[in-house]
Amino acid sequence: MKVFLSLTGLYLKSFYNLPAKAAKGAKFDPKTALKTLGIGLLVLLVVGQMGFIFGASNMATYEALAPLGLQGIVLLNVAVIATVLTLAIGFLTALSTYFMNDMELQFLAMPIKPRELFAAKFAAIYLSEAAISVFFVATALVIFGIKEAPHPLFYIWGFKAALLLPLPALAISYLIQIPLMGFARFLKNKQAILLIGGVIGLVMALGFNIYYQTMLGRLQDPAWIAANMAGPDALLTKLGRSYPPAYLTWRALSAPASWDAVLSLLGLAAVCVAGPALVILGLSGRYAKSLVGFNESHIKKLGAGADAFLRAKLVKRPAFLSLVARELRMMNREPMYMLNGPFIIVLMPVILGIMVVVQRDAFLGDPDMAGLLAMMQGGAGAIVAALSGVFLGSATSITCTSLSRDAKALPYLKSLPISAGRYMLAKLVHGLAFAAFGSAMGVGLVAYALRLGLGDIAAAFGAALAMGALLNLGGLWLDTANPRLRWDNPIAAMKQNPNAVIAIFGAMGLAGGGGYLAFTTGMSTGAFALWFGLVPAAAFVALLLPYPRYAARRLAAIEV
Amino acid sequence: MIELSGISKTYAKSAVKAVDGLSVTVKDGEIFGFLGPNGAGKTTTIKALTGVLKADEGSVRIDGVDLTAEPIAAKRRIGYVTDNPELFARLKAAEYLNFVADIYGVGDADRRERTARYAGLFGIKDALAASIGSFSHGMKQKLLVTASLLHDPANWILDEPMVGLDPKSAFNLKELMRERAAAGKTVFFSTHVMEVAEKLCDRLAIINRGKIVFIGALAELKALRGADGSLEKLFLELVDEGEGAQA
Repeated sequence: MKVFLSLTGLYLKSFYNLPAKAAKGAKFDPKTALKTLGIGLLVLLVVGQMGFIFGASNMATYEALAPLGLQGIVLLNVAVIATVLTLAIGFLTALSTYFMNDMELQFLAMPIKPRELFAAKFAAIYLSEAAISVFFVATALVIFGIKEAPHPLFYIWGFKAALLLPLPALAISYLIQIPLMGFARFLKNKQAILLIGGVIGLVMALGFNIYYQTMLGRLQDPAWIAANMAGPDALLTKLGRSYPPAYLTWRALSAPASWDAVLSLLGLAAVCVAGPALVILGLSGRYAKSLVGFNESHIKKLGAGADAFLRAKLVKRPAFLSLVARELRMMNREPMYMLNGPFIIVLMPVILGIMVVVQRDAFLGDPDMAGLLAMMQGGAGAIVAALSGVFLGSATSITCTSLSRDAKALPYLKSLPISAGRYMLAKLVHGLAFAAFGSAMGVGLVAYALRLGLGDIAAAFGAALAMGALLNLGGLWLDTANPRLRWDNPIAAMKQNPNAVIAIFGAMGLAGGGGYLAFTTGMSTGAFALWFGLVPAAAFVALLLPYPRYAARRLAAIEV
Repeated sequence: MIELSGISKTYAKSAVKAVDGLSVTVKDGEIFGFLGPNGAGKTTTIKALTGVLKADEGSVRIDGVDLTAEPIAAKRRIGYVTDNPELFARLKAAEYLNFVADIYGVGDADRRERTARYAGLFGIKDALAASIGSFSHGMKQKLLVTASLLHDPANWILDEPMVGLDPKSAFNLKELMRERAAAGKTVFFSTHVMEVAEKLCDRLAIINRGKIVFIGALAELKALRGADGSLEKLFLELVDEGEGAQA
């Protein structure tokens, strides 16, 4: 048990990059305290947003079903979605942490039982799954509780069900992955896993988006609700019945103060605990065996073609171009960087596109939309196009994580005969190239949808480019001032980098604030181009001029 | 030629000087070994010497060029092999070499010829199309050595270069050091391997707790200590004396 607990603690620290416990007598560091406070506020903000999304979804379902007397279905819906949500996130987390690093191979050489090793990893991942499940179920319990005032046991059963529901979902994930890793050699490669995981994650996220948008539309249709949600033959009832944990949760919550609820909850506990127990008992050995070979690498040899290869590939280029090419390759060949960074330029339009296509009838049928569409075609469209371009052009997190991502190579890079200014400006060029692409995508798509004229398109693109450039430069200043240089996992340099979150919120704030000002003051397209094109462009130049000297000073001061 | 004069460095999060008033001069055509126990200040000194760290005090001159006043010109005269070969895992080996050659402004013919020579010598020429992330530790080390020689530097600085190298590659590396010194170039390297230092170095320095405790030729050390023991024995005596004095 001691080994299991130690391993679980170690995995938790490693997965979530938890800070080490402060040493006894350590001095109070205001900078660290401020950073912790900032991260705490960001976490609160993200949790608040997630709570809003979950709450809104549960409220919409409740309000659609309550008039028909079917509000109890909300509870079944919650159990099904909590399972699907934890299955999707759990599957991806289990896949991305299946083999973390060579440290796990050292575990195999230690007197650790495979069962302890696998159970510890399972437990570490389960904790985050449980948190997500409890959070999602809690939003439904609160809404249902306010509206229906159920017996207090309802909340206790709901909390217990939320803790139990992720267990079989995670067990299923490993039930699929362990045999797969055992025979599919190509999967024993972090790169392949990240790519496959990324694609599965995207498909799941897009699938969930389609499901959610479709549901929102259908919940307005009482005939559809009656056909699909009411009665024993309804689709949702069938879905719930075919997955016992969801059905048992529903029964436990429907009549919480009854023996049937207690029996249902006991049944739920038995079914949910059985899954992990069987997987841990039956597959731990195979899991430990499947870890062997993850660190193997296969190098394709050039053979007789080596000299021809050198002639073709070793060609002189200007040093600055070489620096920019290195930036592009280092970011876009790392799946986690690419998917969480530049790929957003493609992903966001796809997500919004799904929303527009699925909800088009609802949008166009809304009487308020007619006025809005007329306003868009009357000049405001250029502003919307520009703001959409700004967001896509500045949401890539390229510049605001650029120095942090280079942390491991920084000592070597500092020894090269390149000025800090040129080295950092290559990062800015990388960011600006994607800002231009994002601006073109954002402006182009809105311009196409609203059939904007050439003048509006040019003004929107100019404004998007100017604001995008300014935000990218702002991100570069931010990461130069406060880079995240200590990390084990490269993902930490990007996804767990406060600079990325600050930059995204900064972009959203500027786009939102700019839009608000433009609409409330009734700004013309020309005035918008002036204030949101020329002014940011001037600010960009003003911030760019002192940057190389600042970068040189900061880089010289960084101790790596 | 490498000149370090009165170099001191204290890290921001430490109260102790990692390097304290260190002065070393390495002449052209010399192989200079830099020895010391773990945490003695070897890597900090090398980082100050290559411009990676800014020293609090003192100056560094490379072939007479001041590193602080003219960092780019001084760095152009250096070829540096870092002690951490985990650099650009996502680049292909050839891309990395091309990048380094571009930074140093090496012409097409020279970069091809030197890549073919050094990558061939270390047995990685065949693997240059592969991603660095797929390389073993030793292969990465060989790639770093190859990259450090692409611009034919007058001063070659290597931090623990033997770590991870197979015997044949270690032998080839030592031969290269001798060849460069014979051509009038400076070789400055740190190592824990006493046999390597003993056989290879014209002069050496032993550093402990940030201070030089000996600098000179091995024969001088032996004469000074009045002993005829191995470098390993003399090294341990010097370091132990330092520890005793601190205690």
